[in-house]
Amino acid sequence: MGLRTTAHSSSSSIDSSNHPDLDDLLPKPSGSSSSSLPHKIKINGGTICRNSSRSTHTRTDLSTDLRLGLSISPSHHSDLSSTTSSPSREEALLNWPPIKSILRSTLSGKADNYHHQNSSLFVKVYMEGIPIGRKLNLFSHDGYNALITTLSLMFKTTILCPHDNHVHSEKYHVLTYEDQEGDWMLVGDVPWEIFLTTVKRLKITRADRC
Amino acid sequence: MLKMASSFPEEVLEHVFSFLQSDGDRNSISMVCKSWYEIERWCRRRIFVGNCYAVSPRILIRRFPDVRSITLKGKPHFADFNLVPEGWGGYVYPWIVALASAYPWLEEIRLKRMVVTDESLELIAKSFKNFKLLVLSSCEGFSTDGLASIAANCRNLQELDLHESDVEDLSGRWLSHFPDTYTSLVSLNIACLGSEVSFSALERLVGRCPNLRSLRLHRAVPLDRLSNLLHRAPQLVELGTGAYSAELRPDVLSNLSSALSACRELKSLSGFWDVVPTYLPAVYSICPGLTSLNLSYAIIQSPDLIKLVSQCPNLQRLWVLDYIEDVGLDALAVSCKDLRELRVFPSDPFVLEANVSLTEQGLISVSEGCPKLQSVLYFCRQMSNEALITIARNQPNFTCFRLCIIEPRTPDYLTLEPLDVGFGAIVEHCKDLTRLSVSGLLTDRAFEYIGTYGKKLEMLSLAFAGDSDLGLHHVLSGCDNLRKLEIRDCPFGDKALLANAAKLETMRSLWMSSCSVSYGACKLLGQKLPRLNVEVIDERGHPASRPESLPVEKLYIYRSVAGPRFDMPNFVWTMDENSALRLT
Repeated sequence: MGLRTTAHSSSSSIDSSNHPDLDDLLPKPSGSSSSSLPHKIKINGGTICRNSSRSTHTRTDLSTDLRLGLSISPSHHSDLSSTTSSPSREEALLNWPPIKSILRSTLSGKADNYHHQNSSLFVKVYMEGIPIGRKLNLFSHDGYNALITTLSLMFKTTILCPHDNHVHSEKYHVLTYEDQEGDWMLVGDVPWEIFLTTVKRLKITRADRC
Repeated sequence: MLKMASSFPEEVLEHVFSFLQSDGDRNSISMVCKSWYEIERWCRRRIFVGNCYAVSPRILIRRFPDVRSITLKGKPHFADFNLVPEGWGGYVYPWIVALASAYPWLEEIRLKRMVVTDESLELIAKSFKNFKLLVLSSCEGFSTDGLASIAANCRNLQELDLHESDVEDLSGRWLSHFPDTYTSLVSLNIACLGSEVSFSALERLVGRCPNLRSLRLHRAVPLDRLSNLLHRAPQLVELGTGAYSAELRPDVLSNLSSALSACRELKSLSGFWDVVPTYLPAVYSICPGLTSLNLSYAIIQSPDLIKLVSQCPNLQRLWVLDYIEDVGLDALAVSCKDLRELRVFPSDPFVLEANVSLTEQGLISVSEGCPKLQSVLYFCRQMSNEALITIARNQPNFTCFRLCIIEPRTPDYLTLEPLDVGFGAIVEHCKDLTRLSVSGLLTDRAFEYIGTYGKKLEMLSLAFAGDSDLGLHHVLSGCDNLRKLEIRDCPFGDKALLANAAKLETMRSLWMSSCSVSYGACKLLGQKLPRLNVEVIDERGHPASRPESLPVEKLYIYRSVAGPRFDMPNFVWTMDENSALRLT
C-alpha cells in the first residue's frame, strides 16, 4: 500500500515493440464465464512495479500484459489522484451526492441555516459569437483573478483583468456581467463578495466593443 | 412456416405488425426474413434512439421512411450530476433539419439531455404540419422565445413538457402566443420555468382546452391563483401546483379546498414550492384518489407528511424529502399498501451530520409493509448488511434499487465491515433487478456478487467503490444483460477494460470518470474496436501531452453505426485508427 508510482503498476517485463493482436486476446462476451476468471486474471499484489522510470514504457507494458494474460495489481486510488492532476477529493465531492441540479438548487436555496462548504453558485457564461453558454461554479473561485484564468482557459482567449489598462483591440476580450437589475457591468467594479451576491450571468465580449 | 408467412399479402402482415408496440418486438420481426424487414421498415412509426451519436439521421431515414414519433437521447446520464462538461455535445439541430425534410408528418418529438436551440424549436414549429407532442426532458440551450414559436405555430399541439429543462427565461410572454383558436392542449408542464406568466393568458388557455388532463405549473404561480385555474379545469388528472403559499387569508384555503374537491379525477400531485403546511388540508379531500405524490420540492415536516400520506391508501408513487423520517415511512408502510415506487431525497445533502432521523429502519419498514414495492431511490447516512439482507428478503420484486449513502465509502455502521454482503443479498434475491446503484464501502467481492447474480441488470451505477480491476472484471464478465454502466471515482483500469473489450460492443455505453484507465488503453480500444466510439474527455488539454500511462479524466465509450462524431468540443478526443497512427 502507499506506493506512489503508477496507474498501470504492471508487473510484466518489457519485451517487445510489436503489438499482439488484441482481437485474439479478447474473450467473446457470450463465451466468457466467471469460472474461467482465475486463468485470465489473478490478483498479484506483490509484484507492483516500484520503478517509476517504467512509466515511460506503458505502451509495451500494456500489450505484454495482454499477452501474458496477466496480473492485476490492486491499484491505490488515493495515490493515483496525487500523482495526477485529477480532481481533488473536495472537487470530486462537489458533484456528490448524485442529485439533479434542479433539486440541488431548490435545496440550497432554502437551507440557509447551514453553512455549506461545498455549496455551489452556478452561473452561465456566454461568449460573443458562440451560441451555447457554459455553466461555471463561482464558489469554486476565490476572486476575480481565478475566475478570469478559468474563463481564459475555457474559451481559449485572452481576457483582460479588471485592473489592466483598457486595450481596445479585437484580440482581447473583457468580462461583463448582468446584475440583479438587468444591467450589464464590467466585471471588477465591486468587491468579489458583493459581485457574488449580484451576478446573474457572465458574458465575454471583445474589448474594442466596450 | 416461413413459406406460409410469405404467402400473406403485405397488407395483412402490416396489420399484424401494427399490434406490436415494443421496439424489441419490432426489431425481432424485422430480422425474420428480407420481406418482413421490408414490410416492417415501411410501417414503423415510432423510433427510439438511446444515443443520438449511435446512428446518424441519414441512416435512420434511409431505413424508416415514414416515422411519426421519435425519441432521442443525448448526453450520458451522469450529466444530471454535473459530471459531463458544459459544451460536450448532444445537439439536436442537425437531427431536426434532417427530420424536417424527411418526415413532414412527424407528430411527436421527445428529447432527453439534448442541447436544443431556439432555432431548432422554430424549425420544429414550421416544419411539421400535424405536430402534436414535444417533450424536452433535462434539455438546455433554448429560451422562452423558442417556446413562443412552438405556441404560435403548432395548432394541433397536445403536449408540451419541459421536464427539468434548463430554459433561458427571457419573459413569461411566450404563453400568450397560443392563438385564441387553439384548444387542443392535453398536457402542459412548465414547472422548470422561473418568470411570471400572464395569469389571464394562462387562465384563458386552461379554460378553452376541454381535453386538458395534466397541468404542471411553476413556482411563479401563487396559490391564490390556483383555485381560479382549477375551476376552469375540473377534469384534471395531474396537477403540479406553483408556490404553495400565500398571505394567510381564510378565503384562500376555503376556495382552494372547494376547487380541489371538484377535481374528482385527480390522481397525481406535485409542485408545492415554499409550502405553508396550514394549507395542506386543502388537498385532503382528493387524497383517496391519489396514486402519485411528488413532494421532492416541499419542505414539510414529518407530522404533516404523516397526516398527508395516511389519507392516500391508493398511493403508488411517492417522492419525498427525508423530512419524512423513519416514523413517516412507518406510517407509509401502514397506510399505502399499493406503493410501487419510493424516492427519498436528502434535504441537506452537503453536511455529514444528520439533520433528520432517517436511517435504514425506514426502508426496512416500507419493504415489510408495501408488498408491491418495485423501485427505490433512497438517500441516507447509515446502512448495515443486516438491513440490506432483510430488505432483499422482504422485497424480491425490486426492479430498481438505488441506494445512496451520503458519505462515500461508509461501512456497515454496526460492524464496520464493507457492505458487500448486503448488496450481494439484494442482487441474489431480487432476480428481476434491472437497475442498481451502489454506495458505501464496497470491495471487489461486492462486484463478484453483482456479476454472479445480476443477470438481468441493464443499468449499473458505481461510485467510490471497489479496490482493483477485478471488481470491474466481475461486472463486465458477469452481467449478461448490461446495457449502461457508469462509474466514477473507482480504482478500475486498463486490464479489466481491455480483457472485456468485446463486451462493450454489446452495451449501449460505458462512462468512467476519475478512474484509472490510461490514455494508452483508450487508444488501443479505439483502434481495435472500430464499431465503438471511444471518447476521451479531458479538460486539462490533449491527453497526448502527458505520459500515456497516466489516467484520462473521463472516458465515454459507446457503440455506433455512424462512426466518430464531428461536433466534438476541444476537450473531447475520439480514439480511432488515426489516433492509433499517431501512436507510432
